[in-house]
Amino acid sequence: MKVLRLAVVTAVRALRRNKLRSGLTILGVVIGVAAVIAMAGLGLGASEAVQQQIRSLGNNMLFVHPGSKTDSGVRSGAGSVSTLTTQDADAIAAEVNGVAAVTYVRREVAQLVYANGNWSTLVQGVTPAYQEIASAVVARGAFFGEREERAALRVAVLGATVVDELFRGGEDPIGATVRIRQVPFRIIGVLEARGRTAWGTDQDDVVLIPFATAERRVMGTPLPGRVELILVSALDDDGIGEVERGIERVLRDRHRIRAGEEDDFSVGTLDEIAETARGTTRIMATVLFGVSSISLLVGGIGIMNILLVSVTERTREIGIRVALGAKRRHIRTQFLVESVVLSSIGGAIGVVVGLALTVLLSRLGGWPAYLSPGASVGAVAFSAGVGVFFGFYPAHKASRLDPIVALRYE
Amino acid sequence: MKQSAVAAAAPMIAATDLWRVFDLGETRVEALRGVTLEISAGERVAIMGHSGSGKSTLMNVLGCLDRPTRGSYRLEGREVAELAPDDAAEIRNRRIGFVFQSFNLIPRMSAIENVELPLFYGDVPLQDQGVRARAALERVGLQKRAGHMPNQLSGGEQQRVAIARALVARPPLILADEPTGNLDTRTSEEIMKLFAELNDELGVTVVLVTHEPEVAAHARRVLTFRDGRLVGDEKR
Repeated sequence: MKVLRLAVVTAVRALRRNKLRSGLTILGVVIGVAAVIAMAGLGLGASEAVQQQIRSLGNNMLFVHPGSKTDSGVRSGAGSVSTLTTQDADAIAAEVNGVAAVTYVRREVAQLVYANGNWSTLVQGVTPAYQEIASAVVARGAFFGEREERAALRVAVLGATVVDELFRGGEDPIGATVRIRQVPFRIIGVLEARGRTAWGTDQDDVVLIPFATAERRVMGTPLPGRVELILVSALDDDGIGEVERGIERVLRDRHRIRAGEEDDFSVGTLDEIAETARGTTRIMATVLFGVSSISLLVGGIGIMNILLVSVTERTREIGIRVALGAKRRHIRTQFLVESVVLSSIGGAIGVVVGLALTVLLSRLGGWPAYLSPGASVGAVAFSAGVGVFFGFYPAHKASRLDPIVALRYE
Repeated sequence: MKQSAVAAAAPMIAATDLWRVFDLGETRVEALRGVTLEISAGERVAIMGHSGSGKSTLMNVLGCLDRPTRGSYRLEGREVAELAPDDAAEIRNRRIGFVFQSFNLIPRMSAIENVELPLFYGDVPLQDQGVRARAALERVGLQKRAGHMPNQLSGGEQQRVAIARALVARPPLILADEPTGNLDTRTSEEIMKLFAELNDELGVTVVLVTHEPEVAAHARRVLTFRDGRLVGDEKR
């Protein structure tokens, strides 16, 4: 222990000889370690934020998308002609056990005009049940109900982004008349802002109108009752698998799909989306970690560079030490300890900076700070490893010096 | 027992037909051409010769810093011509003390830390290192300068620190390469007296290289070299 302490003291003394140089070398490691910790925190924090967002959509939700339609052997692409109808949705509500509510959606991008302004956005025709299933919260005004749906009234609920874009003067949108594809609509509600999804889609750039109104007055329809999406909420999370199988059974029956034939629809759950998102964010976290590891590698190369300079500068000192009886391992240890001292100091400072950076980034990004203890311990251990790895070559080089040549070195 | 009996009987240095050839690519330099010599324990020997006579090469070989190309070198009866680097390091650490022309103290280490260095490499317990280093500094009259850095010491004082460092591991042999080459006449005189004292009082074998006759006058035996060969062996 004492010998080790002496080696550390000797190393610190050697490093203090050139404070600026040692400081800059340490800085390289600090940046590397801080980057690894901050990026790991960023990746995990973002991943956690995505999971939370998906959970906020409702755990017990299922989506039914139309699949490809095969007509006389000609297969159309998925969704090119919808295979789903409002009757399918009604059948799911009536025949599948464990279903809490069902809604269906038709959506198209359409131009909105209000006063001098206009805005193109996604217009969704939905039934009133949509509000509950999609956890849509009305900030002001009200959502439309069964009365508006049955009568196909021209009423609309706006997303926050649409309000911002159309009502630039800050007027109250409630009660205002906005034209959607030239059809005048009365605004009855404004949705609470939800922000963007993890994929960058603005969830507030949307207008909700009754399904019947959308079909008859805005989007028009050659085939009445066609829907682009059916949303189903299960009574509880555990029953979701059973509901999924029930939907498949009812739809295959209704669509007269024989055993062995492929479905002309697909049922998805948020679990699947969550799984996909998890995979995506995991890849993102890995990439961030990889990129930040490179900066740690660069820091290590900085150490190696400085040690090589140091070995050359102290060639004569090495010669003296060897003449006095220093064995190769003594010389090697001396430079290795210097390297590890450099990298460990850098690692320790880097952890503090990295954790501070993680907190700062999570505040800016608005997701939970994820202080990864694993990444911190790993980064310090890795930086010490970097010290050994990058210190080894210069140390080895020093230990191989010919004492006579070294003693003569000026 | 047997080993020590051999060591006691054997001469301190026994070199037989030592050759040291430097292969410089196009030319070969024969720095030592068949040197045979014997130095007994307790002798005080000066090696003289012009520059290029091979005396420094001989010192490097005798100090186990360099290996002869051919020939045998027995130190205290042990063949050391073919030692591996780490074994040679151990011999240098325990059996040989070095004094150099340019002192070769490590800068930014105090006098006493410089003196402790051979003990550190000799795995002497830490608590003993300070005591022995202090005693060695006292022996050369520099106990009051223990905490000074080399650049705070005069040339003569630096060389005394170097001598203390050569002594501290209590080697039976001290090799000095032009130890007074960087010192004025008066200081040289003092250093040479110190070597003579160490030789007389401690019985340390002293071999020193010089080209100054005044320095060689302090020795009891003078070996003269020319063109890599021993050409004179004069006892006084």
